Amino acid sequence: MNVIYTPEVWYFLVMLITFVGLAIIKIPISVSLMFSALAGSIVFGEFFPLRHLVEGGFGYIDTILVIGSAMIFMEAIKVSGLLDTIAGNMTIALHKKPTFLLVLLTFFIMIAGMITGSSTATVLTTGAIAFPVLKNLGLSKRRAGSIIAMSGIYGMIAPPINLPAMIIGQGVDMPYIGFTTPLLLMTFPLAIVTSLIIGARQVKPVDLEEFRKTREREPIKGFAVYLPLILMVILMVLENVSWGFSLGLPLIFMLSAIVATITGAKGNLLRISISAIQNSLGILSILIGVGMFIQIMTLNGVRGLIVGFLNGLPQGALLAGIALGIPAFGAVSSYGSASVLGVPFLLAFLGNNDIVVCSALSLLAGLGDMVPPTALAGIFAAHVVGEKNYFKIWLSSMPAFFITMIFATITIIYSNAVGRFANSWYFYPVFIVGLVIVAVALLLVDKGKEMPVS
Amino acid sequence: MVSLKRHFKFLIFVAIVAVVVVLSAFSFTAMWEDPPIIPGSGVTEIRMLSEWLPSIEGTMLDTEVYVINGSEEGGKFLLLGGTHPNEPGGTLAAVVFIENVSAISGTVYVIPRSNHSAFTHNDAMEGSPQFFSIQLPDGSQRVFRFGSRRTNPISQWPDPTIYLHPTGATLGGGEVSNLNRTFPGREDGYSTEKVAAAIMNLVLEEEIDLVCDLHESSPEYPVNNAIVFHQDSAELAIMTQMMLEMEGVDIRLEESPVNLRGLTHREIGDNSDAQVVLLEVSNPSQGRLRGKTTEDLVTKGIDKFYLQASKDGKLFAPYDESGYPLDLRVARHMATIRVLIDSWNMMFPDRMILLSDIPPYEGLVDGLGTYLNPVS
Repeated sequence: MNVIYTPEVWYFLVMLITFVGLAIIKIPISVSLMFSALAGSIVFGEFFPLRHLVEGGFGYIDTILVIGSAMIFMEAIKVSGLLDTIAGNMTIALHKKPTFLLVLLTFFIMIAGMITGSSTATVLTTGAIAFPVLKNLGLSKRRAGSIIAMSGIYGMIAPPINLPAMIIGQGVDMPYIGFTTPLLLMTFPLAIVTSLIIGARQVKPVDLEEFRKTREREPIKGFAVYLPLILMVILMVLENVSWGFSLGLPLIFMLSAIVATITGAKGNLLRISISAIQNSLGILSILIGVGMFIQIMTLNGVRGLIVGFLNGLPQGALLAGIALGIPAFGAVSSYGSASVLGVPFLLAFLGNNDIVVCSALSLLAGLGDMVPPTALAGIFAAHVVGEKNYFKIWLSSMPAFFITMIFATITIIYSNAVGRFANSWYFYPVFIVGLVIVAVALLLVDKGKEMPVS
Repeated sequence: MVSLKRHFKFLIFVAIVAVVVVLSAFSFTAMWEDPPIIPGSGVTEIRMLSEWLPSIEGTMLDTEVYVINGSEEGGKFLLLGGTHPNEPGGTLAAVVFIENVSAISGTVYVIPRSNHSAFTHNDAMEGSPQFFSIQLPDGSQRVFRFGSRRTNPISQWPDPTIYLHPTGATLGGGEVSNLNRTFPGREDGYSTEKVAAAIMNLVLEEEIDLVCDLHESSPEYPVNNAIVFHQDSAELAIMTQMMLEMEGVDIRLEESPVNLRGLTHREIGDNSDAQVVLLEVSNPSQGRLRGKTTEDLVTKGIDKFYLQASKDGKLFAPYDESGYPLDLRVARHMATIRVLIDSWNMMFPDRMILLSDIPPYEGLVDGLGTYLNPVS
């Protein structure tokens, strides 16, 4: 009961009511966040928090630059014809095996996340490339968007680069070593299961004749059109394997975008950039508002109230607190959630397999990228598939979301057993055999779906 | 008419942005000025870190190295404060050392603002105070900065996605701006790596025998109120702990993990002949469970959420209603340094470091302001 009389509860309510009130009268989310932060500061007694608002507003400047440049890249490869070319060629190559292709595309989408550690970058790059193929397979916009968003999250968590796990590990001085097998175990099976749940019933073999007749653009012939993609992959890999080569993701996306404007159908970089930034301005401004909101939450003690409450839960409730709290806090930022909640929760489970617990916590933090108001993976997936209402994608993703949440929680409970398996000599043989069995099963399913196609 | 209206709106917008930029710039640039350190009579020389790596001269990275030289030959001791400027106990302990301690034999090098650039800003979204002050017995106040764990982006930006450490280890990209992850550094690397390289050069060129890096840690962090030691310094650390326990100061021992790269206790120990320890003391103002983040929390260390966490058994350091004040944190560091030097002298009498006027534990606990010199 004491907690009710803690001033921080009232600060929190004031911030929440201000935010909801402004959102109801259709004030943009970013502006609502800024004013709710201002309200939280004033009730706390800090009447002119200009420095805090500016400082917090810059909290996500790196993420903002990555998103902005990734959007320009995506727009550039759309204009250049690369997206349609890849989609067309993949569809033609695997048109008789839609279920197999669905899972293959899920893995393909994940690749960008595995390299960059960012679900947003994944959705906007490999997600955007995969969408036309998913559409050709018969998936609706919302289901395709849902697969892209969830694949973006799994890619962000899958090895070798998992930034939430690194952030949590850094908080307890745990080196980022030994994470590969637990993260493989936690992402690829989930990616298979959830993509099948979301899309298996809708996909169907592609009628090639019909496809060729109805497609909007002919694939561009020649190797040059692929250059922006090849350049992007090379630069990303180089960045992560060689010291001294550090262009940063924004510059990598911009260079690749420039190459795209000259290697396929010619595009005007300025016009492409303006269009891309106009399309992403809403979410970019939300990130600025979120930064301000967190800064004031930390200043007035509301963050401590939330973290302390969740951390103080008894053991059974603690698991529920973790399962719900980490993705919920990820609504403001998955990286922030990993840092603020992931670290104390990992400490609460000391004595178990720390690497497995940390990996599972990172998976939960990644889910935060599906939770509004920021919902980076979901919102950008909606943008990629051209779905105006993000909530339709959110709803389609809910089964996958909850399966992932439950899976991560169970993994925490059985972290020692999972750790033993992940570290055993037979992990890779079992993992590979498992993938082969799945592939064979999917091909058999596709055989059943086959119909006379030309 | 429409065009005029649009231009007017645009001008209003630009004017608002300009006002915000100018007003906030005053606030941010206020942190660029170094608060004075008033050296005691023991300080014989003030050098700059750039003497050991000229490429950082004139940049925000360069910082003072206070030298306390004894009249007799002896061992050489490097004391690092401010590796993490959001851990004020480490910085203040180094400042108190500079303002009070003299050497009889041996030489002490003190760097109170090791990551100088990180003192010039705060971590975004942490809501930290920019400054905090300590009351002196004469009624005056000494003001210090509460900085960041990381180098100012003005000195180093952007960070890579992944930080490839010189040893081949992979760290999160942000750690390349954390000085205590970039040792032994690279002379031609990122700005923070250059600072680490300069300190490493100092250790090697001056033939430092003993290094002590002063830190603080959040109360929920397992390595708390502890001496972290390189394996070659185990005997020294154990002796220090035993002697401190005899004085009634509880302190834990933690051996430096071999796989955890970039930290002073690992890399300076691996790359030089120096014995290396890192000291941690509990600081509620940097933890994730803390409530309102104020100057009072930094200096008094009283926080109701930490008190509750302590009752729930979630902390790795003792915590009660009296909090964990800065006076106590600095006192613990100073006592540990004193005993560490005593232990060193017992183990290595041929490289004796004899110091005088080290402020006593009880005196510091009663008020660290007593051991800070007034700014004239």
